[in-house]
Amino acid sequence: MGEYLLEMKNITKTFPGVKALDNVQLNVRKGTVHALMGENGAGKSTLMKCLFGIYEPNGGEIFLDGKKANIHSARQAMDQGIAMVHQELHPIRFRSVMENVYLGRFPGHMGVVNHKAMYDKTKALFEDLELDVDPLALAGEQSAAILQMMEIARAVDMKAKIIILDEPTSSLSDREVEHLFKIINRLRSQGVAFIYISHKMKEILEISDEVTIMRDGTYVGTWPVVNKETGEKLTNDFIIRQMVGREMTSQFPPREGKPSSEVVLKVEHVCSPLRKSFQDVSFELHKQEILGIGGLVGAQRTEFVEALFGLRGIASGEILLNGARYSAKSPGFAKSRGLALLTEERRATGIFGILPILENTVIANQKNYAHLGILNERKRRIDADEECRKLNVKTPSLATLIQNLSGGNQQKVLIARWLLTNSDILILDEPTRGIDVGAKYEIYNIMLEQIAQGRSIIMISSEMPELMGMSDRIMVMCEGRVTGFLNKGEYSQEKIMALATQFAVHKDNTAA
Amino acid sequence: MAENTTSRSKRLFTTAGLIFLALGIVLYFAKAPMGLNRKIYDLPIFLIIIGVCFALKGFMSKNAPVNELETSRVSFVEFLTNNAILLAMLVLVVVICILQPRFMQIRVALDILTQSSTKLIMALGICFALLIAGTDLSAGRMVGLAAVVSASMMQTATYANRFFPDLPQVEVWIPIVAAIAACMVFGALNGFIVAKYEMHPFIATLATQVIIYGVCSLYFDMPPNNSQPIGGIRSDFAQIGQMRLFSGIYKGFPGISILIPISIVICIIIWFILNKTIFGKNVYAIGGNREAAVVAGINVFRNIMFIFILASFLYGIAGVLEAARTAGATNNYGNGYETDAIAACVVGGVSMNGGIGRVGGIIMGVLIFTVIQYGLQFINVSPMWQQVIKGVIIAVAVAIDLTKYRRK
Amino acid sequence: MRKVFILALVFIVSLSCCACADEVKIGSCIYTFNDAFMLRFRNAMADESPKLGAELTLADSKNDQTTQDAQVDEFIAAGVKALIINPVNRMDVQTMVDKARAADIPIVFINREPMPEVLASYHKAYYVGAKPEESGTQSGQLIADYFHEHPEADKNHDGKIQFVMLRGENGHQDMIARSRYSVLALKNAGYEPVEIAGAIANWEKLQAMNIMNAFIMSIGAENIEAVLANNDEMALGAVEALKANDYNKGNPEMYIPVVGVDANASALDAMNAGEMLGTVLNDADNQGIAAVRLAEAVASGRDIGTIGYEVTDGKYVWIPYQKITKGE
Repeated sequence: MGEYLLEMKNITKTFPGVKALDNVQLNVRKGTVHALMGENGAGKSTLMKCLFGIYEPNGGEIFLDGKKANIHSARQAMDQGIAMVHQELHPIRFRSVMENVYLGRFPGHMGVVNHKAMYDKTKALFEDLELDVDPLALAGEQSAAILQMMEIARAVDMKAKIIILDEPTSSLSDREVEHLFKIINRLRSQGVAFIYISHKMKEILEISDEVTIMRDGTYVGTWPVVNKETGEKLTNDFIIRQMVGREMTSQFPPREGKPSSEVVLKVEHVCSPLRKSFQDVSFELHKQEILGIGGLVGAQRTEFVEALFGLRGIASGEILLNGARYSAKSPGFAKSRGLALLTEERRATGIFGILPILENTVIANQKNYAHLGILNERKRRIDADEECRKLNVKTPSLATLIQNLSGGNQQKVLIARWLLTNSDILILDEPTRGIDVGAKYEIYNIMLEQIAQGRSIIMISSEMPELMGMSDRIMVMCEGRVTGFLNKGEYSQEKIMALATQFAVHKDNTAA
Repeated sequence: MAENTTSRSKRLFTTAGLIFLALGIVLYFAKAPMGLNRKIYDLPIFLIIIGVCFALKGFMSKNAPVNELETSRVSFVEFLTNNAILLAMLVLVVVICILQPRFMQIRVALDILTQSSTKLIMALGICFALLIAGTDLSAGRMVGLAAVVSASMMQTATYANRFFPDLPQVEVWIPIVAAIAACMVFGALNGFIVAKYEMHPFIATLATQVIIYGVCSLYFDMPPNNSQPIGGIRSDFAQIGQMRLFSGIYKGFPGISILIPISIVICIIIWFILNKTIFGKNVYAIGGNREAAVVAGINVFRNIMFIFILASFLYGIAGVLEAARTAGATNNYGNGYETDAIAACVVGGVSMNGGIGRVGGIIMGVLIFTVIQYGLQFINVSPMWQQVIKGVIIAVAVAIDLTKYRRK
Repeated sequence: MRKVFILALVFIVSLSCCACADEVKIGSCIYTFNDAFMLRFRNAMADESPKLGAELTLADSKNDQTTQDAQVDEFIAAGVKALIINPVNRMDVQTMVDKARAADIPIVFINREPMPEVLASYHKAYYVGAKPEESGTQSGQLIADYFHEHPEADKNHDGKIQFVMLRGENGHQDMIARSRYSVLALKNAGYEPVEIAGAIANWEKLQAMNIMNAFIMSIGAENIEAVLANNDEMALGAVEALKANDYNKGNPEMYIPVVGVDANASALDAMNAGEMLGTVLNDADNQGIAAVRLAEAVASGRDIGTIGYEVTDGKYVWIPYQKITKGE
């Protein structure tokens, strides 16, 4: 038996016209967490899909325990002890948690499912993972964190030797991340190997043993996180340098100028019709200001901005837009009043994947190109081209389908879409989620450019550094209520966390 | 490499075109002296037309910049799979021509186009529902409704069994408008249920389909008609479906059915709507990602309403034309048309998942279906076998289409 | 003379009084009121009943055999003297026969023929209807008669009749009978029929038109000598296709005889215009009259030989189809 549990050698994968992977290798030792890093589009997901049997590589070999493995389908991958927890989970929402855990391999005889056994096994698994969830609860009612644990439980039950975690913490709160790491550590000590894909440096350095970095479909190198001889740890800068292939001076571009004192949006005591959603939200947004909204998952930040944009109902409260009363009737109305929303779920509610970039860019602004409903093709093209150029969208042509772009470029197209409508207030919900470091910096630059041009931005972010690095002011929400504002200069992770968990703490107290 | 393939395909088309053209011209002049008139019929003219088309395609592709990636990967095998249905159709046509040389007549081609016309109008209506990842099961019954309503008001004064015995001889456009309006009422109902309650179009239009058939049958059963087939159609109305243009410009030319230019005009209008208007772009957007369309500020309710009303307008036209063409109507007209139209759309590359589909593809789909159906009838293949073949075509066409999108 | 007259008058009055006091009540169930043919049928029955001094009550069985069974119970409870039944399901009539037997009243089935053994199980059970094969026979005879009168209709002078057959829904008993017996009739008339093309057009005008069009293209209208359709709608579809190819528009050189079955209004119209040769009528009027007369006669104990229609095997009244051509 060799040194490695998994060896992927010289993996090459070409798509029509694109070389997605070029002689990539990945070697994972037993009982380690192996981080796989790289910008979006570097080929991490493609490599994992090759490992998991979703793609068939054009060249290269995969060895498991030193033996050549034949993996042609996800099923075969699972049979050989490889499990994958996807970034976006798609549970069967109307079935119970336990049925989701045992999906495709229900315990029982002759096609008759033994529900008792399934319940007991799930219960035992969950207890082992310190998960307090009723196996009979509906999967659709569970949080992202629990769904993820459910997938891990599934992998554990299948005696997986290698578990691939794709951006596991992107929608988890800090406390949930802690729990996840505890589980990873436990399983690691039992000999399970993890391939951990993430953009979050801090997490990588905390949890992983080795880091493999990819760039543009090629293999850059593999480094231990702690150098055994020197005891030196890898640094943020080093990893970023390897990923982007250039020096990165700072994570955030410098902010020039200050917000004006002019109030563009005034929200007063706005309440959702749903009792559990946002309540009594009040704030002012100044011209040329970036207002960050911080909070944990479940703070109802997304729900609030969606209501502001007319996607959800508002029961009471008043909103003044440039001094005039504004009622968020529909997204179309919000658009006509100069609001723009970039949603959190880019794929689900942002892009039209099967349509070209051109259509994606101009879709919200069609009225400006039409006379009696008939479109002026030339004007559309010129505008889309100009805007995409300004925002530096990297694409062969406007006819390229947007689903073929990287996340960062997709996000740029979406920003271009809303800039075309002449929006004054941009609402950005997790604008850099799932976007690689280089593209993040570009998005930040775009944000600052828009501010400089007189626009205002509301930004929801779950990444503390981003929140603190970009916002002029931070509003923190907890369980649907605004728990406080922090001005530039008084930011700290601790203060934000304290506000973000205010009610949770209270609840604990009353419970005690 | 890319340069080579481009010029190769260019040369291929041009040469093939010129060969066809030459062959056609030679045969055209040789057929009478050689006594081939009764053996090859109008084959020379077809060869000339095909030759000109090919040659034009060859010349045109010179000017258009060819995407390098596109051409370099179009290997011969891929070309075959991509066009499998079209090629199967061509093979069938050749076989039919050998078995029954009469198939090689201009009038046969015109007849096929005529029979395709109403089907095409139906398919163009239904494609909107397919583009938003829905479907429309009520299409066929709307054809029946329009046929019955229009025919019922268009009977000659002397006909024994008039639907409205006391109805004066109204202007032709009145019943047409009435029939189409009746369809549009139900189209609006479809749209309202789908848009307002976000009901799946399958269920919504299933319900409407049953309602329409019921309403149409009630109308059809009104005394004194009592469910008798409607006949005695006025010739001015029948002309709308039966008129032939340019008949007799040369001896034996049967004329071009008025249905062909009608459907061409409708094709152009629908192409324009889908590609050049806000509404068309919105249809693709809603089909591509409904949630994202909402976020982009598209009024989904209004667009869906409009989709179903426009579709019902087209079904109404198809129904009126069917009534005029056959000079009659019963409440069973149009029964099952929707499945044929959906099948033709799907064979023509419209995705049932929404957002993908072009007018050109739909035209191809309808033509392929009609040619195969007509051809099999032409050589007197049993109707049971026709059904089997039709089913196989649908399955194979869609399977090929899906593999295109799902290449590993 | 006067005495005789008075006597006669008294006799007549007493007779009619008898009738007043003892009017024969007849209950009748129709499988559905939404059927054009049965509409004519029941109108004929309703018109005939008062002439016989019978009181006819009609019930709509709404295409449901259970409903019909219940209606029969109600009729018997109301004291009807005879039943006329148009069964919903012709295989499911034994219970109704048993009920009639228990009440000792005649039961006359119409339009849908029960199995012979069911009729045989009760001496007062009858059937009034038309033989489906006859419609085929007569449509064949229409063509045979035409060829007899117009020898030039045999265009290729081979002594055979090259015809196109347009069939109804696959497996339908009328489709089978009409197709088979029309050809048989041609043979019996001394011609040799050759089916050069045939297709199923599902009773529909539109399908028939499209199919006929294809046949005209593939075979050539000049090679078709006759068109036999299982019903009028399909015959009319064939006529439309022929007209589109300049046939049957008045030019005797360009004419192909087309026959159908049903005698619906459009077919009559087409025949009068000379576009269609003929059709065959399923005689609802005579069937209705015969059914009421039979029921009344049995109920009042008279000889069934007096009803004016021939009764075959003491059980069946067969009403012949009628050939209809131009001007009739």
